[in-house]
Order: sequence, then structure tokens, then C-alpha cells
Amino acid sequence: MVVYLRSGGRLRERLQPDVDQYTRRVEVEGAPTLREILDTLRIPRALVAFGYSQGTVRRLDYRPADGETITLQPPVAGG
Amino acid sequence: MYGFGGTVLRINLETGEIRRSPTPESFAREWLGARGFVAKTIYDEVPRNADPLGPENLFIVAPGVLTGSFAPCGSKLGFGCVSPLTNGHADSNMGGHLGPEIKYAGYDMIVLERISPKPVYLFIDDDAVELRPAEQYWGMGSLDLEARMKKDLGEDFQIATIGPAGENGVGFACITHDFGRQAGRCGVGAVMGSKRLKAIAVRGTKSLAVHDLPGLTKHTYDIIQRTKPHPNMEPWQKYGTALFVSWANEHGCFPSRNFQTTYHEGWEGISGEKLAEEVLVTHKACFGCWMNCGKYSRARIPGKPDTYLEGPEYETIALCGGSCGMTDIHHVAYANYLCDNLGLDTMSGGNVTGFAMECYERGIITKDDLEGHELRWGNIDDFEHFVGMIAARRGIGELFSHGTRAAAQKLGRGTIEFAEQAKGMEFSGYDTRWYSAQLLSYCTADIGAHHNRSWAITADIELGQDTPVGKAPVVIYLQHIRPLFDTWCCCRLFWGELDVTPEEHVDAVRHLTGWDITIEECMLTSERIWNLTRAHYLERNGGPGRKHDVAPLRQLEERIPTGPAEGRKVGTENFEYMLNDYYANRGWDAEGNPTREVLETLGLPRIADRLEKLGLLGKPIPGGIPKVRGQKLKPKAM
Repeated sequence: MVVYLRSGGRLRERLQPDVDQYTRRVEVEGAPTLREILDTLRIPRALVAFGYSQGTVRRLDYRPADGETITLQPPVAGG
Repeated sequence: MYGFGGTVLRINLETGEIRRSPTPESFAREWLGARGFVAKTIYDEVPRNADPLGPENLFIVAPGVLTGSFAPCGSKLGFGCVSPLTNGHADSNMGGHLGPEIKYAGYDMIVLERISPKPVYLFIDDDAVELRPAEQYWGMGSLDLEARMKKDLGEDFQIATIGPAGENGVGFACITHDFGRQAGRCGVGAVMGSKRLKAIAVRGTKSLAVHDLPGLTKHTYDIIQRTKPHPNMEPWQKYGTALFVSWANEHGCFPSRNFQTTYHEGWEGISGEKLAEEVLVTHKACFGCWMNCGKYSRARIPGKPDTYLEGPEYETIALCGGSCGMTDIHHVAYANYLCDNLGLDTMSGGNVTGFAMECYERGIITKDDLEGHELRWGNIDDFEHFVGMIAARRGIGELFSHGTRAAAQKLGRGTIEFAEQAKGMEFSGYDTRWYSAQLLSYCTADIGAHHNRSWAITADIELGQDTPVGKAPVVIYLQHIRPLFDTWCCCRLFWGELDVTPEEHVDAVRHLTGWDITIEECMLTSERIWNLTRAHYLERNGGPGRKHDVAPLRQLEERIPTGPAEGRKVGTENFEYMLNDYYANRGWDAEGNPTREVLETLGLPRIADRLEKLGLLGKPIPGGIPKVRGQKLKPKAM
């Protein structure tokens, strides 16, 4: 199946977008978790605070659906 | 002059004398705004032995070059003085709308001198500047007073206030504006209170001269169009900073129970999702911002009145929540409200209370010290009573009102080992035992342990969490680039979150002012300020610098007992390695004193002369100083 991952900031440099400036198309086997997809892409888990799709926060144990677009949010300071 | 209000306002609070002078363009270019204006003025004018809460300290209010412009989020306003918490340079800033209002009234810096014989507030309505009586407001809470003054003066006035903590000289008192925007750190609220200045109310209706208005308009419009669809925009708008509570727990840097450990049992109850589900009322934005990351909330606790507040943000959740053992978002929100209305920085306030809770747990302070109350982890009633004692400096509240370092020095019994502070400033909401670059950031910062000076957590992950190697140059870069936003006076989240580059911010400065300025020049300015504040700290506190760049023993040698980072500690040897590397990369000597070569490179030869006379100048470095001081983190190849 195919999952689309999006990110900005420093994480984008890790993600290496290929669809547009933020988005990378990733083909995956089975129904992996977000964590497993990050491992496949060799993106350190600690550099991803959470995923976000359809207005909802997605933790790293979330299993994206075929064709789903997930935004990866890096940790940042604030407040 | 383009881009500035054009006037420096000086007010003698003792005599009521008000003086105006033109803002020199050379001064504006050399120091750029808030943080720079404050550092230079404090260094030049405040005697080195001045009591931070005495008449010789200055209290300065200053916007920056980008404040009030239509550059992205030019909302910031800086406050500065000598800090009662650290006895060094202080600057702290807030967003909201007051900064632009001051600039539209025509002012680039307001310098308040001496002490008013009676409580007053500063009233500014364009050219009308008055000190007005404030006896009727004295004793009121910050939030209550802002609401009252909006009624008294009109909704179109922008107002900053202090609470009882500021009036009473609490070392970590803050200044509040816009019902929840704070200049929180360094005790700037205490200095404002020491002047008997209860509030500042400003209405500005003048224009801001822009050198290239079409250019600035297009520049900003392009950024708006580019950032609106940015992937990070929607989650930030929906949740704000609180979403990082989960990440900080999962990755072992969330302070739990006064930093005893770094995974907080029950963090789900104080998470960003819980905030959005249970207390969020609406979203809030500062001037010129389309991200509206501010969260306006309502805390509901049975037996207590419903309270409204801005927040809680990540830092407040970490320090009033995790570090005080809380597991209910309503309790954290209520703690946030209490601190805001009392006029206490939620970061130091939470950190100090967590420290006191550990002292209570160990039997170092008792119910007798607490007027018959307890101070239990996670208990909001105990929290409420204790911060009330601090704000009033009542009983043992007086002991804790000067921060954890001062309290530990008086309490003894080894308490300094678990006082999580650097230079007297309490840690922000990140434990550093698995994040040594962040520890270096805290301990070398000019104002003490504050994440806004350098947030190096990502650098730790990229460079390796168990190594000290390579971290110092990155920390130095961050200590120049992050405070640069506090100098320009615009929000740094557009850089960190929405990929608006520092170079684009410089482009805005160029359109605004007409200056042929570069990012390299701005970074040198930031480094100049850093060295100036270092010199100021050494002149006030003695040398060598190294003796001040000290980490708490808990962070160095106490292994994390539980959670994802279990067993980690930084280690004294690793910390010393990073410190040596840091000094070498700054062009300072091995004792942490700035050298003549680096000061002259930065256009500060007279500072070098002064340090030399005082025996505080660094020894020359064989082979000279690094040409580039500080390095941007390069991501590792995949």
C-alpha cells in the first residue's frame, strides 16, 4: 500500500520529499505502524513528536490506511 | 528614520521628570532592538554594585526593529534590568499587542529611573505621557487589574501589569499583558514593582515609516501564502505547544516531581490532547500572527470558582504540572491562573514549588513552616496556599521567594544538589540527563537556565544523546540565532515551525529600514550582545566565568531512576569536556573569560579595557580565536 508523509522544518531534510516540497510517497508492505515506517526510512523516532491526519493526533503506534496522508511533527520548544 | 518610532523616553519616577530624545540611527543599527537596547543601556548606566531592587537599577521597556511592522508576527516587546534572581543582565519579552502600540506611540525605548514615592502607573496616549496615581490598583492581581483598567481607560489601550508578587519583590515575578502573555523570566516584574510602577497603559495611533512599503507588503504576503498550507500549521493552531508533553515523556526529558525522574506517571491527564478536550475555550493570536498558537482555557475544579486563563503552555504543564506531581489538566490550568494573577512566572514558580515539595517530602520543611498546611505532590490546594505565601513573602514563603538557589543556600542539608537551576534561574521544562547539549545551554546562558536562549534537544538527538562531542559549537550557534528573534522582536515560531528563514526576517528588516543589512551582521550583533552580557555578569559577580557555569549535581551525577531514559546521567567529565569545547569555540579562555581578541572582533575594545583593569579579561589564546564562532547543525545523511 501507499502512505504519504509530510513534514516541514528540519524533519523535511530527513524525509526527502518527492511529491511536492513537503510530501513523500512511501510504499509499504502489510499494515505497518508509523513507527515501523519511520524505521524503514531511517528517521530517528525521537525526531518525530507525533503524526497528524484528518484533524487528529496520531501516535507512533498508529497504522495508516492505504493512501492516507500523515503530517510528521518534530519536537520543538515553546511556551 | 524608517522602521522605528523615533524617540527614546526617559522618566524619572522619583521626580516625575519626563525627557525625550531622538533614537540615534547608529544605535538602532548596532543593537537592533529590545535585547540589544537593554544590554547596552544597562551595561553603560547601572552601577556594578547597584541593588537590583534599589533606585540605581533601571527598568527598560523596548520594542525591536520588527515590532509593529507587517513582517511575520512582529508582536514582541522586551523588558530589561539587572535581575534580582541572578544578579546579572536580565531581558524578558512578551507577545500580544503592547509592543506595537508603544511603537505606534512613537517610542523605541522607555527608560524608567529611580523609585516613585507612591504607587503609579505609566499612561501613554501618543505624545501624552503621564505618571498617574495607582494606589487604587495596588494589591490587585495582574489579570484582575488588566480587566479593571480596560474598563477605566477603554478597550483600545494595551496594558501590562504586575501582581502582588511584583509589588513584594519576589525574585521571579513576571509582567502580564493581554490576559496571559508574560515577560516571565529573570524577575523583571519584581524590578517594575520595586519602582512602585503597577502598570503601563499605552495607546498609539501614529504611523510607522516604512522604507519600501510595496516590498515589505509583497514579502509578507508571499510568506502568508506559503505558510498557510504548511504541514505544521494545523496541528499548531489546534493544540499549541502542549502537544509535546507526550513526546517529552516518551523520550525521557519531562520533569517529574522536581526532576527526580523524567517520565511522569499519569502524564496523559495533563497532555495536549487532554487540554483540547477538557479546558480549551478558544484560540488566541498575537499581533501580526496567523498561527494563533495561544490557547484560552477554563479551569473547573469542584469547590473553586471557574477561572479563565491563557494556557497552559508546555512549559507550565511541565513545571507546574509534572514537576509538582499533578495529573489533572484542570489543576494545572488553575495553577497557571494562580501564578498569572499573583504575577509569578509559571516556570520558576512551578520549579520552586516542586523543589519545596521535595523538601517537604524529605522532612526539611514541615507543616509548622507551612502555616499548618501540607505540600504534597499533585495537591492543588497545597500548591495554592504555598504560592500565596511566596507572593506575599509570608513566613517560609520569604525563603523561597528568591528562587531555588537562594532557598537552598539558606536551607542547607544538601538541598542545593536538587535545586534545578543555573546562575539562580530555575530550569525550563526539560531534564537534561539524556540531553547534555541542553544542560550546556542552560549553564552557559547569560540570564541563567532558559530554553529560549538555546533549545538544543534536537541537536542532542542528531549528534548522539550519550556523547558530549560536537555539541558546544551548535549550542553557541543557537545562543546567537534564538535570542536574535528577541532582538528583532518577532516570534521565533515562524522560523522553527513554518520554515520562514532567518534570511527572510533580515529581508523584512531591509524593506522596513532601508539598511543594507545581512544575516551575518545580525548574527554578529547577537554575539556582541552575548559577550556584553557576559562581561556585565562578570563585573557584577566576579570571575572567573567558569565558576558561574555550574550544573546541579542531580543533572550531573544522579542517574534517572525510571522511564525511557533510566540510568542516564550527563557525568561531570562530559560536562567539563563540553565546557572546555564551548569556551574554545567562543574565543574565551579556559576559565570562561572573554579575550581581547574576541571583544575587539565584535567592536567592544572598551569592554576589553575594562575587563583587563578588573582582572577579568581572558588570557590570549595561542593560535587565535575561531573565525566562525558557533556552527549550524547539519543533519546526518540518511
